[in-house]
Amino acid sequence: TTRTHNRGQMESRTAIFSAPTAADAAGPRTRHGFSPYVNNGGTVLGICGSDFAIVAGDTRLSEGYSISSRTYTKVIQLTDTTVLATAGMQADFHTLHKVLLTRVRQYEDDHGHQPSTPALAQLLSVILYSRRFFPYYAFNVLGGVDDDGKGCVFSYDAVGSFERVQYSASGTGHELVQPLMDQQIGWKDQRATALKPVLSVEATVDLLKDTFASASERDIYTGDYLDICVVQAGKKISIERCELKFD
Amino acid sequence: MSILEYNGGSVLAMKGKNCVVIGSDTRYGLQAQTIATDFPKTFKMTDQCYVGLVGLATDVQTIRERLQFRLKLYSLKEEREMEPVVVGNVISSILYERRFGPYFVEPVVAGLQGPEKKPYICAMDLIGAPVFADDFVVSGTSAQALYGLAETLYKPDMDEEDLFETVSQCLLAAVNRDAVSGWGASVTIITPDRIITRTLKGRHD
Repeated sequence: TTRTHNRGQMESRTAIFSAPTAADAAGPRTRHGFSPYVNNGGTVLGICGSDFAIVAGDTRLSEGYSISSRTYTKVIQLTDTTVLATAGMQADFHTLHKVLLTRVRQYEDDHGHQPSTPALAQLLSVILYSRRFFPYYAFNVLGGVDDDGKGCVFSYDAVGSFERVQYSASGTGHELVQPLMDQQIGWKDQRATALKPVLSVEATVDLLKDTFASASERDIYTGDYLDICVVQAGKKISIERCELKFD
Repeated sequence: MSILEYNGGSVLAMKGKNCVVIGSDTRYGLQAQTIATDFPKTFKMTDQCYVGLVGLATDVQTIRERLQFRLKLYSLKEEREMEPVVVGNVISSILYERRFGPYFVEPVVAGLQGPEKKPYICAMDLIGAPVFADDFVVSGTSAQALYGLAETLYKPDMDEEDLFETVSQCLLAAVNRDAVSGWGASVTIITPDRIITRTLKGRHD
């Protein structure tokens, strides 16, 4: 059969017992497409409060069913008041982060001060849209403190559409996480909204850890370690790494 | 677009202390269009067993009818009601009969098993492969969302009212983020003494 032609000596005897591949099923005249995109997995989440924003991302980098790295950071600090976390394709979001850092330095050279979080939010949108017809496979969550000292989180799609929100999740675990945030932080479908507590940093970090623990249980691409980055008005940005499940 | 997403719908079942709760959304739609908002996907099999059927609506109805037939025949022959474990096995068998041309449903069974009324839940894929869980099972177009919520909000041995509240919150938050599930929910509490079904209002979009 034609299948044995490309196999080595050892394999040819057993080749007839192996399952037909997709190429066999499609026929002899199929083209092998090259896809420029791959999903390296992972989940990122941003939540803001009255004077703080917390951005978190797991550190697992995957390709298919394999793990490329257990300790790859998806969270990057852009300025003293802004942090970005991105899920999607590592090649694209690593480059995007480099481009953004360069643009931040240029802004500082031109203006003499760091860009504000809403300014960076707009910049990220414009950079993403500049690649409208060959997008960055990057799903961003930007978090920080604005010029009024209030926490803000911005949520993006791959081509730069963005919105300021109270919380946002992106990545392979976003479907698991986003509705949970609706329930726990948004208090949607709860009527006693007058009793809704004002979130503190500690309570939000606890919720975040629980959320990622749950996401790691059910999403194979989420796990290993969790980077939690807290941006608070008037304080230095802090990053904490804690463990998730390694399976 | 998968055939399992044509009508939409979601189901969740959770175990508690001497009780189980099963809930589903109540939308009946054809892709983007909503036709009815009173189409629950949970059905009573016996006083101790409910089945949640989600997927292609025509198969939901057919499997429900075939199951009711099997249950009635069983109770005539055996002179007793079918236990939840047996109901699950019967569904699994019915689905596997159509292994190479399946029914497009992914069922969930919830009930109280045996004379001790031990809580029992089980989920299946469309060809009848069962999954037994100690905590909760999910199925449908917002399964991922239900997993995320249930994994965080579940505690073992909750009582009836706590369990009802938890299932309701999980179901509403999950279907509200899903375009083809929603328009409210129908949640049923099964205890050794009684069955209570409550209808919830959710986002009507």
